[in-house]
Formats: sequence, structure tokens, C-alpha cells
Amino acid sequence: MDFLTAIQSNLLSPAILFFVLGIFAAVSKSDLKIPESLYTTLTIYLLIAIGFKGGVAINAAGIGVVWLPALAAMVLGAMIPLWTYPVLRKVGKFSVADAGAVAAHYGSVSAVTFIAATNFLKSINQSYESYASAFLAVMESPAIIVGVMLGKGAFGGKFSFSDAGIRHALRDAVLGKGVLLLIGSMLIGFLSGKNGMTMVEGFFVTPFQGVLALFLLEMGMVAGRRLGDLKKVGVFLLIFGLTAPLIHGTLGVLLGTWVGLSIGGTTLLGVLAASASYIAAPAAVRLSLPEANPTYSLTAALAITFPFNITVGVPLFFEIAKHLHS
Amino acid sequence: MNLHTMKLVTIICEALIEERVVEILRQCGTHGHTAYSVRGSGSQGDRSADIVETGNVKLEVIVKPTVAEAVLERLHRELFKDYAMVAYETEVRVMRPEKF
Repeated sequence: MDFLTAIQSNLLSPAILFFVLGIFAAVSKSDLKIPESLYTTLTIYLLIAIGFKGGVAINAAGIGVVWLPALAAMVLGAMIPLWTYPVLRKVGKFSVADAGAVAAHYGSVSAVTFIAATNFLKSINQSYESYASAFLAVMESPAIIVGVMLGKGAFGGKFSFSDAGIRHALRDAVLGKGVLLLIGSMLIGFLSGKNGMTMVEGFFVTPFQGVLALFLLEMGMVAGRRLGDLKKVGVFLLIFGLTAPLIHGTLGVLLGTWVGLSIGGTTLLGVLAASASYIAAPAAVRLSLPEANPTYSLTAALAITFPFNITVGVPLFFEIAKHLHS
Repeated sequence: MNLHTMKLVTIICEALIEERVVEILRQCGTHGHTAYSVRGSGSQGDRSADIVETGNVKLEVIVKPTVAEAVLERLHRELFKDYAMVAYETEVRVMRPEKF
């Protein structure tokens, strides 16, 4: 399968088409509205489903196999802000806080992008390591902490753990609902193993595709409402929002190949590295770096990088992974 | 009927800082509060509440006039500069002043 066929089969999956429908609904100012409580419910469902599945997979594969790629993923995530920050400062001319905030978002990861990637792999019958959701779990927080420290001017001595904002943000980054649900359900999946999976399969596995389609419809609307903000963020961030995923995704694919993941697992690591957080990071960053303008990071992550990744990025990183493995 | 004059302090702010505001309320000596999820717009743009990061929360608390001033003063000092928020007080009359 060549790159164009891969893109095509990705774009024509129900989930992505619903995402496009959501963007259209927002842009055309339709009265369609997904209740906020449903959005929250769907988020919880998706996180539990992938966490649980990952835990069962860790149980089957053994922790001995998982720890090295997971550690590599975590280190990569934590390091991404270290080079994105100077680029944002020097080339993008962002303030210390804004550069730290954007760097935190891009180092952290997007669960939905990851899920869309697993969806793509499934649609083309490409197998992958199901325990890859462990990478997602460990990549979420470290980058947020590094980015916030940079944004606080940690090296200028302004960072302090006694600051109320920092305290709330740290707790949010480490114990926020995303990480808590992922790690928690992963542990439950690990402990209950294959038998546990048979018990909940009907709820967490079979309807998954439908739930994802519904969720992406809402995500399309959320992203679509921010398209107007693109004018406010400037050309630099627009270019950054497209090149950062390309560079980070390629790095992730190289790293995945190096630690011995399969083509599917390598693609997922690439997608994770390429993705930018728009749930965990915005909350933690808003609390700890209130002087940063949230429009920059949220618009870049949500209206530029997220749509790019789930449409073009996922099949692209798959092609690079395939190429490196042959 | 014996009614006592008290202050109703209303705070509308980013949902993300609800906990910090409640912490300030407690430290100023308030005994409770009521919170609602709300949406709207202001000088910092739309607060569409489609995701929690863009939601607002409205907090109400009835207090003695001195406490009301202390609350507003601390909000002014610690949060007004950085977050999208408004806070105001109005006069209300209650039956059981010891409750507040």
C-alpha cells in the first residue's frame, strides 16, 4: 500500500469523516451542540477502554518487554520542550511564559490522536503492540512539568513549589483525570488479565468505534470553533504547528524502530511524539503559567496540529515506520 | 419578621480556578458557597464552555460586610491580573445571620 492509499483509507474512516462533519457544523454555525457532560463521559469511556486494553496487553506480554520502550517514550516526551522552547523564544519571539506554555503542550500527548492512530492501524489490518497505551500514560505529565519550569524561568530562579498555582498544576499534571484513569484502568486490566477482558469486552471493545466517531464529531466542533483564532496566532505558530509534528513524529518513529517495536507500535510512538496535548496541558499550564496567553497553545494544538495529525500525520508516520522496517 | 443585612459576593471566573477561589473564600472565614457552571463572553474572548478549559463558574457566598471586603481584596491581589474573572457584592437580607 502506498502513501496515498494509506491517506485515503484513513480519511474515509467513519471517525475522521465525523470529525470533518463536526468542523463543518462549527464553521457553518449550525445549532448542533453536544452536551458538555456527554463530552466528559465519552472522554472517560475512551481513556478507560484504551487503559484497560493496554493493561491486559502488558499482562500478556510481561513487564520485561514493556519497560524499555515506555522509558524511551517518556524521555522523548520530557525532552521535546527542551528544544521547542528555544525555537519559540528565538525564532517565534514568544515571551518566556508563552514559549514554555507552547513547549509543554507539544511535549505532552493527545490521547485522541493516539486512539485515531490505533483505529487507522486496525482499518488496514496492521497489528501493533496493544500495550502502547502505556507510552501514552507515561508521556503525558513529564513534558508539562518541564515546559512549566521553562515558562517560569526556572533557570532564572523564579520557580517555586510553594506557589498556589504551581501546586495545583503539579497535582493536575501528575494526578489529573487523564493520567489517573489511564494508569488506573491499565492496572485493573493488568490484574484482571484475559478473563477480565472477556467480561467487559462487550462494553469497552465492541462499541469503541462508534463512541470514537461520536467523540470526534464533538472534537471537530471544538476545533472548528477555534479556526477563527488562527488569524490571531500569526504565521510563525501556523508553520510551527505543522513542522513540529513532522519532526517529532519522525524522531518517535526512529526511536520506536531502535527499541525494537513492530511497524504498528513504531507508528504509534511516532504519532504520540507528534501529537500535542489539548486537555491535560491547557489545564495545568493555565494554573501554573497564568501570564501565558492560552489562545496560542490551544489554537496551535487543537486547530492546527490535531487535524494535521489525524488526517495526514498518522498515515505518514506509518509509511516512514514501514520504510525503516524494510 | 426579623431580617438582617448581609453581603452577597458573586464571583464569575474560569472554571479551572474554582478550587483556588474556594480556598480563598475559606481562608477569609466563609462558611459555604454555591457554584454553577456557566458560559458567556468577556474582554478575554468567548467562554463557550465546550471543553472545561473554556468554561466559566459562578460562585455565590453570603457573608458579613467585613468578610466581603476581605474576599474582594484578596481576589484583586491574587487572581484578577491573570485570569478572566469578575467579582461584585450586593446587599441581601437573611433570617439567620449566625449561619453566615
